[in-house]
Amino acid sequence: MTEDLENAAAEYVLGTLPADERARIEERLGHDSALREAVQRWQSLLSPLDATATDTVLRPEIWRAIERATAGAPGASASPAGNVVVLRRRIAAWRAATAATGALAAGLAVFVLFDRFAAPPAPEGGRYIAVVNSEGSEPALIAAVDTGTGIIRVRSLTAETPAGHSLELWHIAEGHEPRSLGVLQAGLDAQTIQDVATSGPVDGSIAVTVEPAGGSPSGAPTGPVVYSGRLIPVE
Amino acid sequence: MDRRILTGSSLAELLDATSRGNHAAFRALYEATSAKLFGVVLRIIGNRSIAEEVLQDTYIKIWQNAERFTPEVGQPVTWLATIARNRAIDRIRSERIERHRVADDEDVLGRLAAPGGFDPAAREALRTCLGGLEAEARDCIVLAYCSGFSREELAERFGRPVGTIKTLLYRSIRLLKACLEKE
Repeated sequence: MTEDLENAAAEYVLGTLPADERARIEERLGHDSALREAVQRWQSLLSPLDATATDTVLRPEIWRAIERATAGAPGASASPAGNVVVLRRRIAAWRAATAATGALAAGLAVFVLFDRFAAPPAPEGGRYIAVVNSEGSEPALIAAVDTGTGIIRVRSLTAETPAGHSLELWHIAEGHEPRSLGVLQAGLDAQTIQDVATSGPVDGSIAVTVEPAGGSPSGAPTGPVVYSGRLIPVE
Repeated sequence: MDRRILTGSSLAELLDATSRGNHAAFRALYEATSAKLFGVVLRIIGNRSIAEEVLQDTYIKIWQNAERFTPEVGQPVTWLATIARNRAIDRIRSERIERHRVADDEDVLGRLAAPGGFDPAAREALRTCLGGLEAEARDCIVLAYCSGFSREELAERFGRPVGTIKTLLYRSIRLLKACLEKE
């Protein structure tokens, strides 16, 4: 490593190189491993300075724009696992079928998550998803159920908790009493429920009722159903 | 995003899942890192709406290139911040942007000394070695890295010819390297 090359690497990382020199370095990085290593070394040495920047929260619109720009675009090289492809297709189908809002698409995309991310599902497990809304209006939340692990993921989109009350989530299956899946924590974007009783194929609906703060005292729904959605198998 | 996912998965795992087209992992990565990266970009761009555009470009690029991350290239957060800084610097070099914010090097050195956070040994080494430079040389390094100053902008700020700044940077880089190798 000559001193000139070392200096070029450091100035490239600092950002002080004129545009043409900067472009030349970037071109060389593709094939010059000594230069690449020098650049990586300077990046590591100076990176503690990144930590001195003030964390600044972005407007939610920014994520939505990124999501739109990356939806459907494959990751650069690797092809996604098969089940992800299936779910993506389903998302596309739902989008077309329901002419849903961007919010629906955004929420659903978040659930393209089961492939390797959480604990893998038990072999006998099935995956279900419910788009929970109020009479065909914008989806209030999305629930994804993995019966293999008993994990239910709930993503809140527009669900609103009335003051002094709680929203409680129920599984409603034909021929059975509604079963509580837990209380939705107000203000939380997403939450995970470990539901040990969920196993085998599930059908029916996910419903949300308004209950006294902390949830139904009796274990059965006492308040009005504000949102509901049918469980649909995703694979 | 589900906090259990965030705490249970390192950024490297999120990047790996992102490279396989896992959009939930990508979202979790965004949730975990975007405020920091936006801070880095905003400090360079000094203009919020343009910084937002750069931040969007950055994450689109991360989505497209996630498979290029390997542990050999360094820490995931460094890799991510590098993409953000590169895009921010490319942007300010390619157009004239009305910039409002400038890093104050006292402030930056103070923040390097703050307890906690990532890799305290590396931070302490950098703080010591930056502290060992003459004030003007240190200012040049900090303003270049943190605020995206070009040689010309540094020259203007310190009232010196561009050639002098170039020499100053060259010498500072050698001193920093020698010091950091020792630390």
